[in-house]
Amino acid sequence: MSRAFGESNLVVETDPIMAEPVFNRERHIKYFLRCLKTFLPGLYTSNDSNRMLLAFFAVSGLDLLGELYNKTTLEERQGYIEWIYHCQVPSGGFRGFTGTNFGLEKRTITNEAWDPANVPSTFFALVILIILGDDLSRVKRLECLQWLPKMQREDGSFGEVLGPHQKIEGGGDLRFCCFGAGTRYLLRGKDGDNLKEIEDIDVDKLVAFIEACQTYDGGIAEGPFCESHSGHTYCGIGALTFLGRLSDNHKQTALLSPGTEGFESLVKWLAARQTSELGDEEDEDEGNSEPDESQSLPDQFGKIHLEESFHKLANLPTLTTQPIKYAGFNGRCNKYADTCYSFWNTATLAMMDRLQLLDADRNRQYLLEKTQHIVGGFGKSVGEPPDLLHSYFGMVSLAFQGEAGLETVDPVLCASHRAVQHLHTLSWWK
Amino acid sequence: MAGTYASDPEWDSIQPIPLDDGSDSGAMPLATIAYAPEYLEVTSYLRAVMAANEMSERALKLTEDVITMNPAHYTVWIYRAKILFALEKDLTEELEWLNTVSLKYLKNYQIWHHRQVLMTSKEHFPVLPATELDFLMEMFGQDSKNYHVWTYRHWLVRHFKLWDTPRETQDVDTLLTSDVRNNSAWNHRFMLRFGPRGDNEPDAGMPNSNAPPEEKGKLPVVDEDLVDMELEYAKSKIVCAPENRSPWAYARGVFRAAGRSLLEWKEFANAFVAEKLEDGKSVDVEVKSTHALEWLADVHAQEDMSADAVRMLTLLKEKYDPIRKNYWDYRINMVEGHSSQNVQVAASA
Repeated sequence: MSRAFGESNLVVETDPIMAEPVFNRERHIKYFLRCLKTFLPGLYTSNDSNRMLLAFFAVSGLDLLGELYNKTTLEERQGYIEWIYHCQVPSGGFRGFTGTNFGLEKRTITNEAWDPANVPSTFFALVILIILGDDLSRVKRLECLQWLPKMQREDGSFGEVLGPHQKIEGGGDLRFCCFGAGTRYLLRGKDGDNLKEIEDIDVDKLVAFIEACQTYDGGIAEGPFCESHSGHTYCGIGALTFLGRLSDNHKQTALLSPGTEGFESLVKWLAARQTSELGDEEDEDEGNSEPDESQSLPDQFGKIHLEESFHKLANLPTLTTQPIKYAGFNGRCNKYADTCYSFWNTATLAMMDRLQLLDADRNRQYLLEKTQHIVGGFGKSVGEPPDLLHSYFGMVSLAFQGEAGLETVDPVLCASHRAVQHLHTLSWWK
Repeated sequence: MAGTYASDPEWDSIQPIPLDDGSDSGAMPLATIAYAPEYLEVTSYLRAVMAANEMSERALKLTEDVITMNPAHYTVWIYRAKILFALEKDLTEELEWLNTVSLKYLKNYQIWHHRQVLMTSKEHFPVLPATELDFLMEMFGQDSKNYHVWTYRHWLVRHFKLWDTPRETQDVDTLLTSDVRNNSAWNHRFMLRFGPRGDNEPDAGMPNSNAPPEEKGKLPVVDEDLVDMELEYAKSKIVCAPENRSPWAYARGVFRAAGRSLLEWKEFANAFVAEKLEDGKSVDVEVKSTHALEWLADVHAQEDMSADAVRMLTLLKEKYDPIRKNYWDYRINMVEGHSSQNVQVAASA
């Protein structure tokens, strides 16, 4: 799959002053090395509880650039692995940061709820270990698999942590469903026969919950009847993909079956997320409504003469009257483009085997010319400083399009294929 | 300021627990943050009171300090809620405090989850507090598409059964009048009109969600007057801004919920597509809405006029929506090449 998907686009070819944009690999290596080996600025304090996720971005970012094993020593990688295990809680699973840990000697049955394993962090901890080449032999695998069903609610969804009295805490959103299913995938492998004694999650209920999150416009929302959102759409399809990869005889859900209404309306919704509205025009109000057509027409449709009102509407510009050079992705209908949505949408299309439907050239132009930062990394949107999340997701979106200088990426594990191959060498995957 | 706790007699009895990032046991910590000394101090006291399971006024005050520095801390909120209930605190006061925190950290989701945890207490909130919706509108004044606030509002509607209260529709109308492209408001309207209401009926993004695919999205019982009203509402908003995707999607959802055909809007969609005729032959097309073109493509496909459907999709692909060139090709392939089953799917998608 090349970055051009074949057809070059007309606009780019007819623009003589357009220089070919460049993926500034050396700068990105420096950026990720800095994030890996030096302190992140104090601004990240509000993300302290997400340190495992930040660690994933830093380690995996360098891995995607093909430099993890060149730019770090064996001792460093061993030290990173030790830190991940330092985040494992005694009862199985991983905490999201060391800040909740009050020490093994003080931990009791009555206070352990304040230092719980965290569902997304457990997934990311495991993936980091795999990227670093660890064999997961010190992972409390069975305990972790036993903990997962305790995180599932009656409606099929997953929570974030177990609180006091084993109560499932945290929102009921699809992020937790995805990483619950992901952790199950990583640790169950092909070992189903040996795990018969271990209670599994309720797969059918989880599938039903995800299906209930699809909205009338085809996208998937955080929970039933919320607004469709690309991040949650990724998580929903990610969870279904994890479940599907482990089951030989499960009936395929509609959301993953080409030709069904569920599948095709989701494809349409994902394709509709690509947008040339970048929010970078100078006179626009930050974050509020998008550039608008005239709204001078009367609101009460019933009271006006149809024909008259249609005459007043402007004709749309065509490709030849208004060339479009950049097109990123938004995460919801009528929002501006944002670097991370170039990932959430294209990764979902990749899992659905529909990646070829996006406009790869214009996405590349957007990422490289509009949000790639001069010091390395990517910002959230035009003119923003780089941060770890957007830097990582900007690169992954480019990697899906075959950008030179990046490893290929598995869309559901969100890590390099090299790392996935290592996963599959572990004993329960053979 | 660091040292605030260490020098405070109120905290004398507590031995703070410093951060153990694993360096002493040979770990090389990842994603290290240049913490402010105050943050390190306050979190060291938090660990100590949590380890002791302390339910006290001072611990409550401490959580407030932690939250203002790190509102995404996932256990401090659970701990705070537990203290509030243990000390039988006035939850209305807590809501007032939450209001100020919410306006400061607009993007935080834990705040809204905490609010939901409090509001779930039937004992404290048997009915919707009078000022609750005003505060939500104040939040929408900051960001009318704030996802967490909308999620919370959906929950409120279901919890207090507010579907038919005039206030819900009024607020949606106000927001759509100030920004007709507010897709969050459109989504809320759909939930008010067509969302599940039964106590034992699971929540779902579409009516009849767990039914077989052909029934999914369709209401078991249809109020045709309501459906007509909603379709007129969508039309009135479409003519304000024909390229606005939200009301077109809304209308498709309504047609599907009612089990009615997109053909009903053929004439309406046609009004956005003016054919220039010479000697009775179409020589050019003037288009006022790409979504009308797509609607017509679907209508033609349903009428088995695939050549006309392809002509609409080709206009999108070549002239009006070039970003989605590959997608429109995909749709053309479905109309032209694939089995009739797939054509049907494409038409209703």
